[in-house]
Amino acid sequence: MAKAFKYGLKGITGFLEPAERELLRSLIDDVISMLQPEDRTGQDPLAALIGLDMDVAEPTDRAVKRLLPNVVKDDGAASLEFRQLTERSLRETKIGALRAAALDLDKDEIVLTPEGARHWSMALNDVRLVLAERLDIRDEADAEHVHRMQDWSQAEDVESYLALVYNFTTWLQESLVQAMLQSMESRR
Amino acid sequence: MTISVAPGPDTQEGIRTGTAESTDSLTAPDIPWNLVIWNDPVNLMSYVSYVFQSYFGYSETKANKLMMEVHKKGRSIVAAGSKEQVERHAVAMHGFGLWATVEKASGGTGGNSGKSGGPGQGKGKRG
Repeated sequence: MAKAFKYGLKGITGFLEPAERELLRSLIDDVISMLQPEDRTGQDPLAALIGLDMDVAEPTDRAVKRLLPNVVKDDGAASLEFRQLTERSLRETKIGALRAAALDLDKDEIVLTPEGARHWSMALNDVRLVLAERLDIRDEADAEHVHRMQDWSQAEDVESYLALVYNFTTWLQESLVQAMLQSMESRR
Repeated sequence: MTISVAPGPDTQEGIRTGTAESTDSLTAPDIPWNLVIWNDPVNLMSYVSYVFQSYFGYSETKANKLMMEVHKKGRSIVAAGSKEQVERHAVAMHGFGLWATVEKASGGTGGNSGKSGGPGQGKGKRG
């Protein structure tokens, strides 16, 4: 079984079983593939160089849209304009954090620097956002319903399996963030 | 937002409020744009507070106060400034996975009357 992240002399440490690391790795890979910008031939190379993307569109996949939300409520045009300027680098930021977390999955014991912990917390959060969309978590009642699913022997369909995976990542992120808050407190 | 372990961050509210800068002053009419964080059922309360503390440099008290406002009222203005400033904050918040939007300050109302589920998405019913 995984051990909760904790803050101690070595920094922030955690422990994951091989199967848990494999699971996290595939979840992270899924999110990375959702965030990878399409390779567009014929795109203005100078625009690409400075991170501009004039062909960007509001995501149609709800999970991708949750990862890359509109920046102005009820204003698609203003949000789109903002996407052209920022979405590419936002995707890269997210992919960077996800890749950094995946690299730490090579060993059972995970030892994180403050920077590494930040990457992990962002990566776990994005994984949870995607799982939550797949589980159709729309409000706190939905979240509570999913949270009640704790017994792996009950996992008999895709939804209950996803719910258990979601709860595992929630538990892991919560322990990580508590350790990060402790670490921040001790540095004050 | 969701609590997965024990609640509690809000228990310290009020102890050090004097040291935190007042959020009211940030919505003054001379500051034209607001950064709004919306509630969602996925982000952990502890994580939202961590982001407010680490990114904005807010005290634990102030971060928790804003986090609870997001949780209870559905949204909260967590920063204000020029359009460029709040847009930069918004991208950073999106990087963390928080649900952030920018809006023009409406002129001193505080702007926290909204209680819809968030931008662009209604509350779908299950089943």
